[in-house]
Amino acid sequence: MEVIHNLAFGFSHALTLQNLMYCAIGCTVGTLVGLLPGLGPLSTISLLLPLTYSIPTAGSLIMLAGIYYGAQYGDSVSAITMKIPHASSIVACIDGYQMTLKGQTGLALFTAGVSSFIGGTVAIVVLSTLAPTLGEVAFLFGPADYCALMMLGFVCVSFVTTGNMLNGLAMSLVGVLLGMIGTDVNSGVQRYTMDLPFLADGIGVISIALGCFGITEVVKNLDSGSQHSPFNGKINLIPTWPEFKRIIPSALRGSVVGSLLGILPGGGPTIAQFAAYAIDKKFSKYKHEIGNGAIEGVAGQAAADEAAARTSFIPLMAIGIPENAVMALMMAAFIVKGIQPGPNMIATHPDLFWGLVASMWVGNCFLLVLNVPLVRYWLSVFKIPFSVLFPAILFFCCIGTYSINNNLEDVYITATFGLVGYLFLRLGLEAAPLILGFILGPMLEENFRRAMLLSRGSFGTFVSRPISGTLFALIAIFIVWQLVAFFMKSRKATAPLTPLTPVAAE
Amino acid sequence: MKNLKNLNFVSGLFLMAIALMFGLVSFKYKIGEFSRAGPGLFPLMVSSMVFVIGIAAMVRSHFIPPVPISLNVRNIGLVLLAICGFTVLSQFINMIVGIVFLVFCSSFAGIAPYSIVRNAKISAGLIAIAFAFQRLLGLNLPLY
Repeated sequence: MEVIHNLAFGFSHALTLQNLMYCAIGCTVGTLVGLLPGLGPLSTISLLLPLTYSIPTAGSLIMLAGIYYGAQYGDSVSAITMKIPHASSIVACIDGYQMTLKGQTGLALFTAGVSSFIGGTVAIVVLSTLAPTLGEVAFLFGPADYCALMMLGFVCVSFVTTGNMLNGLAMSLVGVLLGMIGTDVNSGVQRYTMDLPFLADGIGVISIALGCFGITEVVKNLDSGSQHSPFNGKINLIPTWPEFKRIIPSALRGSVVGSLLGILPGGGPTIAQFAAYAIDKKFSKYKHEIGNGAIEGVAGQAAADEAAARTSFIPLMAIGIPENAVMALMMAAFIVKGIQPGPNMIATHPDLFWGLVASMWVGNCFLLVLNVPLVRYWLSVFKIPFSVLFPAILFFCCIGTYSINNNLEDVYITATFGLVGYLFLRLGLEAAPLILGFILGPMLEENFRRAMLLSRGSFGTFVSRPISGTLFALIAIFIVWQLVAFFMKSRKATAPLTPLTPVAAE
Repeated sequence: MKNLKNLNFVSGLFLMAIALMFGLVSFKYKIGEFSRAGPGLFPLMVSSMVFVIGIAAMVRSHFIPPVPISLNVRNIGLVLLAICGFTVLSQFINMIVGIVFLVFCSSFAGIAPYSIVRNAKISAGLIAIAFAFQRLLGLNLPLY
């Protein structure tokens, strides 16, 4: 009953004309930019975050959330129609593109749109019921527990986003190191600033995000040399009743899976869509068709994708710990607006919290309208050649960085991180965990120092507390599992285990 | 020497270099002790972890098939030159000149044939967007 009351309170804020407008703008712009080849939700939010600085707090957060799930959907449209995936739409490529090849693009897009709506709606119910409860649990967390939770997040994100835990973990830690640039809040000492005054306050997350994602993505696409042939196919969006009936069970399964996996550290849309796809392949009535362009192959993953995108707000808003790189950027947006996400957020800013939750459902409706009847118009975006697009993206990167402090020197930092991001890319080091490490770094250091102070320098505090002990045990299990898997794989591949003679490609 | 063309080996080396860069500088700050950590302790701990991971990545590279590094200096060089030129021109002349330089310089990257007319149109569009940002969103852009 209390949830309904709270949601009604949230809708009273979300349905104001101003917030409706911001939600609509966020969904539209997010979908539009998400559609562009190579730009996933992370790049989209990095690019558009500076636009929200001059907007009131509630409106800007509603708009950003709209940009996030709009980009999420836009990304799946490009995956279905042109097989151009990003991390959040890899699975959509499998059956979605197969449906396009069969001439069922309209049905695939309709399925993705409706399933996303179902997934989003289920996730909002989960979000509004679980977030306040989890917020109360977060009060039990001490500094050691926060450290353990952040470390678990690093380990999980490293594995999920890169598939190589070693590199991913290293990148998270490099992010932590970058987060230390600036003035140490405890001692007042300037660290790693090289006596440059503009580094005294540290590096801005936007500079890093735009460099590592905006500029790097542009150069990556330029290097690949592809001009992305425009999609000109005709689409029929109206499904038959039997086709429509096939969407619902799969979408509901995906919604539940996505909602649950979205809450876990390192979870989020990417892992959720894979899990939903695997479950559909196992339990669907039409499992034999999945992989060859089945409705279920699109419905389940689309619902899971959208549900996880929404429930990944739960750890951020209830505990104050973002669980993936996109949420880390959202956290930066909250902080820029003077809001500290965490257990106190619901009590201190109920209008903001419930307004945001309610706006997600409003955004869901906008997305349904934007992406089902209007999707054919969106597809014309693919007709813009990349040679026209990329100077514009570079311009938005520059303006985005500059507009934070009205300081052109920040653009040099972005350019530097563009180069660093490119090197990371070419060395197979994924930059997404770096952003998470960068955002969580100062918080990790603060909690580590506090935990050590309270325990008089004993590391035993990390294993003696039930919460941190359990979380570190999970980390240990995960690392051991990875090591065992690696050695077993190596043994199978090269028996007996001898160093390979490297063959460098000229 | 062959190792330096192996992506997995070089990424380990790169991580070690980053770790050393941060780790050695951390000695400049007070380290303190665990119960009363100085500003240098945490960076030293984290960079040590990155260093160990870097070594592990290098060792690992001997047991997995080598992957060649592909680096295209031209595109990243042109893009960075365009951005830096945009910044310098915006700082010392104005942003409109900066935008024109950004578009005309960056268009040398990629494989599309170079077109002055297309670049002029893109520049005009971006200048219009910049004016819209200035007037509608209140961004303080030094356009003229």
